[in-house]
Amino acid sequence: MATILIENLTKVYPPTPTYPQQVQALGGVSMSVTGNVFVAVLGPSGSGKTTLLNIVAGVEEPTAGAVRVVQDGVPAQVGYVFQEPRLLPWRSVLDNMLYVQNRKSDRSKREAEFYLSMVGLSDVAHLYPAQLSAGMQQRVGIARAFLVNPDVLLMDEPFSHMDALTGRSLRDYLQRIWAHTRKTALFVTHDVGEAVELADRILMLRPGGVVFDDIPVNLPRPRRPDDAAVHAVETEVLRRFDSMEAAVRFGDQRN
Amino acid sequence: MSYATDLPTTSEFGQVPGTPQGSPAEAVHWTRKPWFVNALAVAILLVVWQYLHSVNGRVPSIDEVVSFLGVELGGGSHGGVSRGEFWGPLSISLQRYAIGLAIGIPVGGLLGLLIGGSRRFRSVLNDTVLVLLVLPSVVWAFAASLWFGIGSTAPVVAVVLTAVPFMAVNLSSGIRGLDPGLALMSDAFRVPRLRRATHLLVGGALSNAVTGVRLAFMTSWNSLLIVEWFGTASGVGWRAKHWYDAQRFEGFVAWILLFVVFITLLDWLVLRRLEHRSTRWQQQPTLTFAEGEIA
Ligand SMILES: Nc1ncnc2c1ncn2[C@@H]1O[C@H](COP(=O)(O)OP(=O)(O)OP(=O)(O)O)[C@@H](O)[C@H]1O
Ligand SMILES: [Mg+2]
Repeated sequence: MATILIENLTKVYPPTPTYPQQVQALGGVSMSVTGNVFVAVLGPSGSGKTTLLNIVAGVEEPTAGAVRVVQDGVPAQVGYVFQEPRLLPWRSVLDNMLYVQNRKSDRSKREAEFYLSMVGLSDVAHLYPAQLSAGMQQRVGIARAFLVNPDVLLMDEPFSHMDALTGRSLRDYLQRIWAHTRKTALFVTHDVGEAVELADRILMLRPGGVVFDDIPVNLPRPRRPDDAAVHAVETEVLRRFDSMEAAVRFGDQRN
Repeated sequence: MSYATDLPTTSEFGQVPGTPQGSPAEAVHWTRKPWFVNALAVAILLVVWQYLHSVNGRVPSIDEVVSFLGVELGGGSHGGVSRGEFWGPLSISLQRYAIGLAIGIPVGGLLGLLIGGSRRFRSVLNDTVLVLLVLPSVVWAFAASLWFGIGSTAPVVAVVLTAVPFMAVNLSSGIRGLDPGLALMSDAFRVPRLRRATHLLVGGALSNAVTGVRLAFMTSWNSLLIVEWFGTASGVGWRAKHWYDAQRFEGFVAWILLFVVFITLLDWLVLRRLEHRSTRWQQQPTLTFAEGEIA
């Protein structure tokens, strides 16, 4: 069983020549996620969502605090879907998949093809990324993350760069795949509807990288964006954002 | 795999848009084919040449040059004791060229890797390489023949010194242009070092490296000729100068022509094709996939 344990995580970017002020991306985030849960991290642009995922993935160092990502006591295998597709432009779709595959065997190619078919891309395995639409490239990124058989799945707004219709059908895909694999998932988004549709739990971030709320979503799956129950939770999430903003504004006025 | 069968299959998504279905590129009219355009350019050149000959007698005519070449090739007499020479000068030049490139391209490639990959090396080497790049090859010609005298060392050194900066500059800018997001992606998936070196670094910088190779081939052929002209007693450049000094302008023009034809053919038949192959991934499917794009 996979566990993500985050304790008082802080990330401050030092000033740069182009932006001569330090930036606090994360201001003491703590959370613990265990087992087959789908957690959404919801926050506006610049609230430190990508920074959080990068630190959890081990590709960025925190300024302070600790992160543990383990599976049965050993470091967990992480699958990461980035905000951009991040494919090697000079390799075919299939070779991009094999690039992250760690066990090389006859099976690895068949596995890669299987995950490509899962996102509806069997027919373009031999094409270069530049020959795919943005949405198709992002689907390769999703297939790639599943290919490494991850214990923990990190997703950074994977649908934000595509049109609403494609995003809708891919969310559908993701729900179904996740229902079968039930990987521990940390899903970053700024889209309230998306968070409610996909997640068991929503962590709400505000600018400065502070978790100000943590809402469980106990709705049966599969969920549709137009379900009344989904809609009700959305309204509640938005209400809490509004009152957080009001509180911050009120706080400013008192200073 | 353990996934249940109710997952949607590819066919539910229908035909993926943008998949080439083997539809051939629209036929190009023959007047726009590369071979026709090239032939036309050559024809225009020949007409201009013959015109220049008719207005200025010192410009040798086409048939003078061709028959001169025939004598050089056949080893016949140019009059007096002077006899035709062709394969001798050509093979000497090609040897120098090959040795110089065999040294210059790997050395330049290594420098490019260091400059592109390490900030420290960049600050030390970048300006040096840029100086090499902007110095005209005639400087190498004089410097190298000053240092090494008449012989094959000077032209080889000139080829090396010309090839190195072209390789280094192109390769290092290719490496520096790599998207840092791809390195981050490789980190996140724990891609092993070796695979990262071959797929990310080499894959990403290959097209720049090939461009560097192409430029190194073209410019160092120039340097070679200049060094041979001013500083040696053998090779293609020396032979051209020999006829120039002898006021046999048809001989001079013949060798210059050979010099141009050689590098042009090399570029068309080898270098450009290599470059095209290595940049194939940058192209959109409908634009320039047609092989007719290259000569
Ligand atoms: N490498 C960096 N150097 C300096 N500042 C950075 C860097 N990366 C992020 N930041 C800053 O940290 C803050 C949080 O950035 P982050 O990318 O984590 O936000 P985000 O929530 O993912 O935003 P978005 O929804 O727009 O993707 C921003 O103010 C950003 O400017
Ligand atoms: Mg982000």
